[in-house]
Amino acid sequence: MKKQDYFSEKRIHDSAYKHVSGFAEYTDDMKEPDSTIYGAIGWSKKAHAIIKKIDLKDVKSSEGVVSVVTFKDVPGRNDVGPVFDGDPIFANNKVEFYGQPIFAVAAKSTEFARKAVLKAKVYYKELKPIVTIKESLAKKKLLFKIRKIKRGNPNNALLKSKNRFKGNFTTGSQEHFYLEGQVAFVVPKEDNNMLVYSSTQHPSETQQIIAKMLNQKSNSITVLVRRIGGGFGGKETNFMTASICSLLAHKTKCPVKLRLDRDDDIIITGKRHEFFSDYEVGFSDKGEIKSVKLKLSSKCGMSPDLSLAINERALLHIDNAYFIPNLEVKNYLCKTNTSTSTAFRGFGGNQGMMAIENIIDNISRYLGKDSSEIRKINFYKKNSRNITHYGMKIEDNVINEIFNKLLKKSNYKKRYSEIKKFNLKNKYKKKGISITPVKFGISFTTIHLNQAGALVHIYTDGSVHLNHGGIEMGQGTHTKIAQLVSKSFGIPYEKVQISSTNTSKVPNTSASAASSTTDLNGAAALDAVKKIKLNLEKFIKNKYKISVKNNVVYKNEKIFIGKYIFKFNDIVQEAYLNRISLSSNGFYSTPKINFNKKKFYGRPFLYFCYGAAVTEVTIDTLTGENIIDTVDILHDAGNAINPALELGQIEGGFVQGQGWLTMEEVNWKSNGQITTFSPSTYKIPAVSDIPRKFRVEIYKEGKNKEEVINKAKTTGEPPLMLAMSVFFAIKDAIASTSNYKKIPELNAPATPEKILLSISRLKNN
Amino acid sequence: MSTNKVQFIFENKLIELDNPDPNQTLLNFIREELKKTGTKEGCAEGGCGACTVVLGEMENKKIKYKAVNACISFTPILHGKQLIVVENLVSKNGSYHPVQEAMAKYHASQCGFCTPGFVMSIFAMYKNKNNKDEDNIKDAISGNLCRCTGYRPIIDAAKSLKKKTRYDEFDQNNSKVIKLLKKINNKNIIIKNKNKKYFAPKTINELKKIIQQNPNSNFLSGGTDLCLIVTKSRQEIKDIISLNDIKELNFIKIINNEINIGATTPLIQVEKFIQKYYPDFHNILRRYGSVQIRNVGTIGGNIATASPIGDTLPLLISLNSRILIQTKKNNKEIFLKDFFIGYRKTRLKAGEFIKSIKIPIYKNHKFKAYKISKRFDDDISSVCASFNFRIKNQRIEDAIIAFGGMSEIPKRADKCEKFLINSKFSVDIFEKAKNILKQDFRPIDDMRASKKYRLEVAENLLLKFFLETKSNKLIRIN
Repeated sequence: MKKQDYFSEKRIHDSAYKHVSGFAEYTDDMKEPDSTIYGAIGWSKKAHAIIKKIDLKDVKSSEGVVSVVTFKDVPGRNDVGPVFDGDPIFANNKVEFYGQPIFAVAAKSTEFARKAVLKAKVYYKELKPIVTIKESLAKKKLLFKIRKIKRGNPNNALLKSKNRFKGNFTTGSQEHFYLEGQVAFVVPKEDNNMLVYSSTQHPSETQQIIAKMLNQKSNSITVLVRRIGGGFGGKETNFMTASICSLLAHKTKCPVKLRLDRDDDIIITGKRHEFFSDYEVGFSDKGEIKSVKLKLSSKCGMSPDLSLAINERALLHIDNAYFIPNLEVKNYLCKTNTSTSTAFRGFGGNQGMMAIENIIDNISRYLGKDSSEIRKINFYKKNSRNITHYGMKIEDNVINEIFNKLLKKSNYKKRYSEIKKFNLKNKYKKKGISITPVKFGISFTTIHLNQAGALVHIYTDGSVHLNHGGIEMGQGTHTKIAQLVSKSFGIPYEKVQISSTNTSKVPNTSASAASSTTDLNGAAALDAVKKIKLNLEKFIKNKYKISVKNNVVYKNEKIFIGKYIFKFNDIVQEAYLNRISLSSNGFYSTPKINFNKKKFYGRPFLYFCYGAAVTEVTIDTLTGENIIDTVDILHDAGNAINPALELGQIEGGFVQGQGWLTMEEVNWKSNGQITTFSPSTYKIPAVSDIPRKFRVEIYKEGKNKEEVINKAKTTGEPPLMLAMSVFFAIKDAIASTSNYKKIPELNAPATPEKILLSISRLKNN
Repeated sequence: MSTNKVQFIFENKLIELDNPDPNQTLLNFIREELKKTGTKEGCAEGGCGACTVVLGEMENKKIKYKAVNACISFTPILHGKQLIVVENLVSKNGSYHPVQEAMAKYHASQCGFCTPGFVMSIFAMYKNKNNKDEDNIKDAISGNLCRCTGYRPIIDAAKSLKKKTRYDEFDQNNSKVIKLLKKINNKNIIIKNKNKKYFAPKTINELKKIIQQNPNSNFLSGGTDLCLIVTKSRQEIKDIISLNDIKELNFIKIINNEINIGATTPLIQVEKFIQKYYPDFHNILRRYGSVQIRNVGTIGGNIATASPIGDTLPLLISLNSRILIQTKKNNKEIFLKDFFIGYRKTRLKAGEFIKSIKIPIYKNHKFKAYKISKRFDDDISSVCASFNFRIKNQRIEDAIIAFGGMSEIPKRADKCEKFLINSKFSVDIFEKAKNILKQDFRPIDDMRASKKYRLEVAENLLLKFFLETKSNKLIRIN
């Protein structure tokens, strides 16, 4: 690639200048008609209770209130569950979590509405809430049947193993903390139609769920999204806000805006699944894993939501990058009286990977060996040991190469020996280091979701309108797809107009999720471009009597066919005058994938993303405080469409993962009340937390083996899991306090408190 | 002499508001009345920085720019200031400000929702020529949360500004704005809006009169706590008396070997001044909260709200500080350690207010303070510890130890102090002293830390103090 081309591909985000100047319009920024009224949600103050009586008299008479709605006002389905029922829009006679919506208010201002909802008198008969995984397991409150997957003969192999041990491990929940909270703005139109602006990752399902709620057809609801202020999975199935807003608009016939206050947002909406695993592992003296048995339990909250798919992805990533010849996992989906657990970057994959990484780390410590060696021994290989526990042959394995390259590049071995010297000299400051791999499967594991649509027009002046089903949530999908489209047409990027995602332009779309937004929608957009180009080429070849065999090249706003050169704009004009269509939809469905969920067998993923990270930390053994000194990352983005934007995903994903594993702690009291619901009590990484030295490199040799646009690989979710190295570096530093003789007990997140506790336990054991 | 008009400069024009709602937040005013939607609401409690705007104020004949959280400021605080929001940084001819250019070019925005706040924080730093090194930059944006980028490109964008010329449209309009600022009246402000009243007196005498006539008012001194009554509890505050305009209460000076600080002196000024005397005090203030909070939050406010986790309090207590209280008739002085009587309860009676605080300057003492929290920046302490010792010939002659986060009030470790005084300055003694802390404190469990951790850390900090003092080296990772 020429240098210049490379830099043009490092294009800034299409909205960058609008972001920095405040002119990027988010849902709450839109100009509202004068008749607009504003909503607020009244929610349960009990985690588990029968509602005896709801007295809304004072709410209705509160200043500025226009309308109040409860479950009785829902004409159709009173549920926003995406796959299964279980997420009532408004509680009927029972509440199942602290924060469950019971009613909503529309008032003349947001302030009036928020004040009014506090005036409700709800009388409860309290029931005992189930708050933890342990309680749920003890009471057998599972959302689904226990799911068991198996490979080989795990019991037998365990017995035969030279070495065995048991243990358990927890990874915590996480709040999305998108900076733009949940918000919707709904404008009622004629024929009971609704125009819905919503901060969602999933406009099509928003449309369907509102239609079902109102007992109307989907074609009466249009959902529009220009951009959202962060999603991370937290806006994939949260249809509560848009539904309640639509219901208020339906009832009052006024435009309604509903914007959740940050506290309400965290209290009401879903979070990441906490996972708990009980495990037993058998392995050789060299450290080769022979067998793993796991009981993998997740805290699903009060409803199924996406928990089944999330747990499935955990099962599909329980191997991370390792060949496990004998394996059994029993998966428990625990119901608890907490807000529903939902999608969050990594989608269970990261929780599964942490479980096996913790086991590998403990094997290394058990054998007294460097964990990088044990990891290497267990990696999937190219020609053997290359079938996963779900029967998929790994054809694109580059983890061995990436891992070795990074070991060398980061000077891991030398640094480790220096760290050991440092630790001998320092009693109260200890350093630790770790290298961890990432292998992450790309595709929705629900096969039918792997489809996308797009709509592309060329107007008579040669400018291009681009629309597709993907949501712009910061990842730059619009920028990247516009880059591909402009390149394909051979026209400047500036000539392609990016537009709001719109259910009436591209129907039946999948969520912008599973890291696949650009893969799917980009391919659909290019399909549309291809169809228009075919129209143009057929027309040119006919008119100018050019052999159909001639190749057509689009470049520099020109079209080259054989010896002919046409100006792009001229041809567009001409085609129009000759009544040739300049518009097309496009469609894409992912090839090759199939997965039998019942047998847990098949090829659920089109390809895998790989990466590795080395992290060095320092901890304070008197306080448990910690800092990240250095991070080296090598990550495979294939042939990246826009290396600058991919870099942003890698760094941002890493820091989000670091937050998950070190400081972000969601806390519920035993009565089910959440106590961490604002930035003062829930801490996400701030600027001083990031690695002091942060060296990120995209794997230059990377290329996607599969037919994916640009031969690129997505960088949506996988980089989050590079942060596993932070956790294990901290664990390594803790282990040094026992001169690496004992295995520390440490659960995630490794907060200062947990670190200090782990050190004390090592001392006292 | 009073006025009911709030006057401020916006877009190089003098704007006048008649009796504005004193409970309206500056953020709502900007979004709903000025119709500038670039400024975002992220949390409505000053914890995320998405609402950051910049206020220009005259200081030593120059305009000083301060980043503040619009979500926890009330509209009347605009009086006498220039309001700058993110849209204003784009110049008339449509060109972007260097800060905006840098943020865009360095890929420092992804979803973009936090971006205006970052732009404004960096803008304030840039205008005050504060972007000297990476630490300054990190401090300037420590109160801005970004969930997408991981901050690295934002730091790089800010770093790149060092090379840029500083002349911008705000320099161009400087004299015009100063002229306008000077036009703003200097009268006491009395606002009456429906059932709500707001006073901003200019002098202590005026203040006393207003208090007499409105004994049930709430004092506003920065307001980072007070505003939450409106934005979080959704209650009205009927009467507010702002102390921010009283120049007599805003000072720092040394009198008789004591640092005297006026009650409404912003923490950010205290932090700068105190560095020379007590470096650890400076370090803790740097972590007290974000620049936006420290720009408005005051030392008197921190004392009067009496939070068990107010970070200045254990430090001030261990330094034997005294506060000067204006009672109805006189002044009285009490030791800060005696000021707190229960959870968020003090000896301050209705109508009384804190005038100043006096911090002795100990020349031959060892003073150290530690703050332990989940996050380095802008977090509330699990434990805050402060030690002030006089050691001579390896004997402890005096020991004052105070903790925050360990009980319902910031408090001294009396029993532990007693044990240490007149003991040998040795590790054995400190190991023993650790055990005595249990008798002084019964901390609680909450979302920030368990009582077990609090106690263990408190004990370890005692040891850390010994180790650092003994070796004359800092044993810290930050």
